Amino acid sequence: MTESAAFSANFASSLPQPRSRAAVMHELRRLLPTSESSHHALPFGLAALDASLPDGGLACSALHEVVPASEAALPAAFGFIVAVLARMGRERIIFVLPAYGRLQHGRLSGHGLNSLGLDPARLILVETAHRKETLWAVAEALRSTAPQAVVGMIDRLDLKISQKLQLAAADAGLPLLLLRPAPTLEASAAATRWRVGTAEAARDRFGMHACPRWHLQLERARNGRPGEWVVEYDHVAHRFSLAAALADPAFSRSLGGRSCRQASRS
Amino acid sequence: MNEAAEAAGLAPGEPLADARAKAGFLQVRAVDAAADDAALRRLALWATRYTPTVAPWNEDNGADGFFLDIEGAAHLFGGEASLIADLAGRLDRFGLPARLAVAGTPGAAWAASHFHEAPLAVLPSGREAAALADMPIAALRLSAKTRNALRRLGFKTVGALIDKPRAPFAARFAAELLRRLDQALGRVDEPLIPIVAPPVYHSLHYLLEPIVTAEAVVARASRLMQNLVHALQRDDVGARALRLCLYRVDGAVETIAIGLTAPTRSVGHVARLIELKLEALAAMEDAGFGFEAIGLAVTRTEPMPARQTNFANGDEGDRAERCAALIDKLRQRLGPHRVRCFAPVASHLPERAEVLAPLNGEALQSSPPARGRSMAADHRVGVNSSGDLTPPRLASLADPPLAGEGSWPAPQQERPLLLLPHAEPTEVTALVPDGPPRRFSWRGVTYDVEASQGPERIGAEWWRAPLSAHSRASGNPELGPRFRGDERQHALTRDYYLVEDRGGRRFWLYREGLYGRETAAARWFVQGLFA
Repeated sequence: MTESAAFSANFASSLPQPRSRAAVMHELRRLLPTSESSHHALPFGLAALDASLPDGGLACSALHEVVPASEAALPAAFGFIVAVLARMGRERIIFVLPAYGRLQHGRLSGHGLNSLGLDPARLILVETAHRKETLWAVAEALRSTAPQAVVGMIDRLDLKISQKLQLAAADAGLPLLLLRPAPTLEASAAATRWRVGTAEAARDRFGMHACPRWHLQLERARNGRPGEWVVEYDHVAHRFSLAAALADPAFSRSLGGRSCRQASRS
Repeated sequence: MNEAAEAAGLAPGEPLADARAKAGFLQVRAVDAAADDAALRRLALWATRYTPTVAPWNEDNGADGFFLDIEGAAHLFGGEASLIADLAGRLDRFGLPARLAVAGTPGAAWAASHFHEAPLAVLPSGREAAALADMPIAALRLSAKTRNALRRLGFKTVGALIDKPRAPFAARFAAELLRRLDQALGRVDEPLIPIVAPPVYHSLHYLLEPIVTAEAVVARASRLMQNLVHALQRDDVGARALRLCLYRVDGAVETIAIGLTAPTRSVGHVARLIELKLEALAAMEDAGFGFEAIGLAVTRTEPMPARQTNFANGDEGDRAERCAALIDKLRQRLGPHRVRCFAPVASHLPERAEVLAPLNGEALQSSPPARGRSMAADHRVGVNSSGDLTPPRLASLADPPLAGEGSWPAPQQERPLLLLPHAEPTEVTALVPDGPPRRFSWRGVTYDVEASQGPERIGAEWWRAPLSAHSRASGNPELGPRFRGDERQHALTRDYYLVEDRGGRRFWLYREGLYGRETAAARWFVQGLFA
């Protein structure tokens, strides 16, 4: 009799104890890839953009998608990625680019990176033959936690793979920026999705090309607000700013930098 | 001095102009002391077949031969005379004329090898003094200063010094004279520093039962690496390249080469690389009846001093180490030429101004340095100056990647983020033949130019061989420019324009040829896309 009582007591203690709802919720919240798990965020230094993002900046341990608004905007999307990376410390960056994608749009140029303010010596370029290799290389780069950021170019990405990549990025504590050249996109687990379009460049008073401008569209942001801006990027100071035409009320009636440029051309 | 030079009457120490005057057919090469030294070391290592103690000569001895300590080894070759006859015969077959001498002391042997009348000399033991007596003072391996002083005092032969009182010599000359004399006569010992063969890191394991699976191979290989690690640690070196040999039961040998970005002694890392390689190679698929032996050899080592590890993250290693490990993995799986980094080249043609170079370990160890400004001056030569090109420095002729990684020039001109693999021809409408473009069509789309900036004039590299021949020879087909059209293209000047169309797309166009001077109808190309 006593033996069975002892057994049942033993058995009961081996069962999981019923926990309070608060404890369960806390446990579940810990498992969710929320903003709390990523302490670091890279602010853009622009109140308008940073207010739309949950951490006041681009989360450093998350997956971010960058999509060109049209096929013609691919260089702009590349430029936006390079600008974000240039603002991010001095460690190495891994670029995983498919070898087949390079031929159509051209290849990255070291001097071009240099003139956007990213030291080309920081870059490690990995060329892959197919999508499987790209995914493997991206995952391996994240797992090693060696670089400061990982950039990949992947055309197709289903929800499950994007979840895996998001988890890998969160585990590694590294930002993963994926360039998605495909015009139509599936649902994904990315923290943000940026659609980058071209915009007329900022010109100085002599009509010379001063710095590039991009039409940024924050299409999706987990725990954030979508938005749309025209930003310009100063490669010397590594600084984003809102395009002058939008920031300055005097220019707000004429959209874009046209009035500036026409003034400069005359 | 070879025979032909002697026949022409040349002598060492003669001015080159005199030598040229005597022998018009003279070919001149700079002395490569390092290569000579390496060759001497190789020969000395070969000579360890006679005796384990072989000491190559240092600078004092002329650095052009070596001592063999044949005490206790001569009888194996039938005595001293037959030993040096054997050695001379073998050297002769190598094409190396040699003078050999056997003596009781290294000093006497050196003297006899240089000043004995016979090319093969065996001096009887204990009679060094008699043998050396007739030889000139130079036989004592003295410095030029001491030799000159002795010559002025009238001493011409060693014999004149041997029986003289020692005190005046000790007072007048440096210790060198008496030391060399005593060494030649065997009164003091001359220690020889024997050459040490480079260590061999090799580990081989025979298996009782053949193994077939990749897991078993990796497990065995990591145990072999474990054996090698002790030896590597002892010598403070790390492996840069390894070779894994799998000996199949039927006699075939599978060889797997493993290259590493940075020297390593990590067993886990090597095991992981072998695993990746086995996956890629599918060597395991035709293992047949299995592998009966497995050998791992370190084929290249590099110094790797012991370092204090971080207490907090233990053997995690720092970022550079992790980066090296990652690059090894990527290279092992994707191939060594798929993981690269940008390196600037001293050329101002955009398609030639950089290469994608494979990464090396040294570059990784140092974190990317700050951008240097020093090379900017000679990097872009004569840009924007119409016609008058500044002559390039001679050093830039061979297109070397600029030294080091920190030498990316500070950006001066706008450069496109994406360069097209070929410059693509385009139809351009311009107001005047040498004016900026107003409208162009590229890849079937017509673009209206809203703003253009330029021209930035980049002259052809006239000092270079024709472009197409160069790119074929350079062995870097991927980055080499592949232009269509005729060979004389490279001789044309280019005017680059940064143009922006109505939608904000930015292109890099160039017009080839100066209108009216180099060409009658300039052609336009799109070369890059700006961000």
